[in-house]
Amino acid sequence: MLTTADTAGNNFVLGEILVARLAGFGSFLRANDFRIGTAQAGDILDAAGRGGLLEPQVLRWQLKALLCGRGDEWRRFDELFEAYFLPPNRQALAESRSAGTGRLSRKSDGRDGSEGMPAAQAEGAAPDNDAGSAAKHGASQEESLAQADFRHLNQPDETRAIEALMQRFAARLRHLRLRRERIGAYGRRLDFARTIRRSVSRGGWPFELAWRERRRERPRLVLLLDVSRSMSLYSFFYLRLARALTAALPDIYCFIYHTRLNGVSQALRDPDPWRSQEQLQLLSAGWAGGTRIGECLAAFNREYGCALVHSRTAVVIVSDGYDTGEPKDLAQALAQLRRRARRIVWLNPLAARQGYAPVSRAMQAALPHLDLLAPGANLASIERVLPQLLETLT
Amino acid sequence: MDRMNAIVALQQQLQQYGYVAERSLAATLLLTLDMPRPLLLEGEAGVGKTEVAKALAALRDTRLIRLQCYEGIDAHAAMYEWNYQRQLLAIKALESDGRDAAHKEADIFSERFLLKRPLLDAITCDEPPVLLIDEIDRADEAFEAYLLELLSDFQMSIPELGTVRAQSRPFVVLTSNSTRELSDALRRRCLYHYLDYPSFEKELLIVETRHPQASAKLARQAVEFAQSLRQMDLRKKPGIAETLDWVAALLGLGVTTLDEEGTDRIMDCLSVLIKTREDRAELTREAVARIVATC
Repeated sequence: MLTTADTAGNNFVLGEILVARLAGFGSFLRANDFRIGTAQAGDILDAAGRGGLLEPQVLRWQLKALLCGRGDEWRRFDELFEAYFLPPNRQALAESRSAGTGRLSRKSDGRDGSEGMPAAQAEGAAPDNDAGSAAKHGASQEESLAQADFRHLNQPDETRAIEALMQRFAARLRHLRLRRERIGAYGRRLDFARTIRRSVSRGGWPFELAWRERRRERPRLVLLLDVSRSMSLYSFFYLRLARALTAALPDIYCFIYHTRLNGVSQALRDPDPWRSQEQLQLLSAGWAGGTRIGECLAAFNREYGCALVHSRTAVVIVSDGYDTGEPKDLAQALAQLRRRARRIVWLNPLAARQGYAPVSRAMQAALPHLDLLAPGANLASIERVLPQLLETLT
Repeated sequence: MDRMNAIVALQQQLQQYGYVAERSLAATLLLTLDMPRPLLLEGEAGVGKTEVAKALAALRDTRLIRLQCYEGIDAHAAMYEWNYQRQLLAIKALESDGRDAAHKEADIFSERFLLKRPLLDAITCDEPPVLLIDEIDRADEAFEAYLLELLSDFQMSIPELGTVRAQSRPFVVLTSNSTRELSDALRRRCLYHYLDYPSFEKELLIVETRHPQASAKLARQAVEFAQSLRQMDLRKKPGIAETLDWVAALLGLGVTTLDEEGTDRIMDCLSVLIKTREDRAELTREAVARIVATC
């Protein structure tokens, strides 16, 4: 406890204990997914040294201001602070990534199974799902508690081809131009301020002209991937696409949804493939369960809409359109998204089949709000659809 | 207990300047003042992020220098610019001057011709000002990186003039609505505080502080109304600013209490609280009457 530092006599020894304890808090938070640099250990001591050592409440406020960097860290801080500094709770709440349970401590059972199948289902045993539901296909309402097997995320066979394609795509995106300007050597419009500035060195003669050229700017991409059971054949493929694209583009956000919505950008961005897998594992509860597209899109609008979607954003939705929610909800959510986003593209793996018509109720509801409905079931069909996609995004 | 006393004192001082802060925010501000580090404030629109900087400036009796970020803001708009037109005039005027070119040039690139933009202004103040960098998330990454350099050593290099070092370190407050994820480097360099929608008690205190002429009953009812609106699934939830505007509007209309007979008058000035068409459609006369009945 903190109140051990009150005797002045053996201040030195106690000081050392305190320093170690406080410094350990930084690594404790880091283990709990806080983005804290090692340099901040010194800051912790600095802040604590300014008073507050004897007042846990003050210490809490100061460390909170110092160590948090974003909203979700801010909300989780109090719990972690108590877990670390208050002895009775410590055992109950302490959790670290190294111990195998992340902050979303889920059961990590069987990890064998084939690509795209929920692990439990692939093993033949469904501990959290009743046995009967394993036979159900298509859209289903219930949430799956099974976890997916992410080993195939890094399979070498197709990975290179995917990466190459996505890099090509990213390079093409880079050439999209939007109406922003910057100063350049060539251009169509004179930059008067700059021209006059340059003329100063020539005694006031506008000898060197400065131009305004159009700045190239990529649109922001938001990917919403359906990972429900009916999509299980394709969801891994799309996740790999997303991972390759995330590596190639800076401004891209990726979400997976089934009955709930989960952000996976951070996990996909992790350069270490194994760590990336581990994080996805934690996020994958509900993988290959039912679908509620409308609800998930509405949740996206509510939680991320204002923050992520702006006038340069293209939203790419990947789904087969088998939805158990109300088509009305879907239409409303899409209409709302439509107003914020620049483009909405829907990739439907089923649309690659011959004779496909978007007749499902969800697709019918969605169609009026889409800029493009394109097929995309494998690499070849994605490649075919890419020019169309780029055209839509400009 | 000294620290706690200092925090409470700061909290009370802030309230004297019309800003109601929680104790945790006061603790953060105190840390900002004596570490000194930039403070990054995040939170929903209208919860009083900008007001923090204003209150801080009032409290320290210094200038508030504000830099409003926007998409496409560049270093020139934020730091400095040469006054080209005046420079040109000066060149023409100097043509007849017999001095050598080096002297002339030094003359032209002197501070007289420098237009100070907010950032340069902030670091050349004699008294440490409060520098408010509003909506930093709207600026692009390049500008953020530029800002990072300034915030770490508070100096700025102007090629023609040399390096300008801060005479006094400004107190920097950055606000963000998280339309874009800020870089980790920037977040690490700042203290952080997340402002949430206020609790009932806090909001009531704010309304009483800002509108002392409102009757206790009206203030209580208005705050309860706003709080229950925030519980609804609205596209744009009303912030504290909206509540304050609404109370002002009610006072202007001569409303003393909210009751079901007065629903019409409430509907009239609902546009102060509700900012989108969908939300407006959601709040029918019946819905409003229902909320008023519970207030």
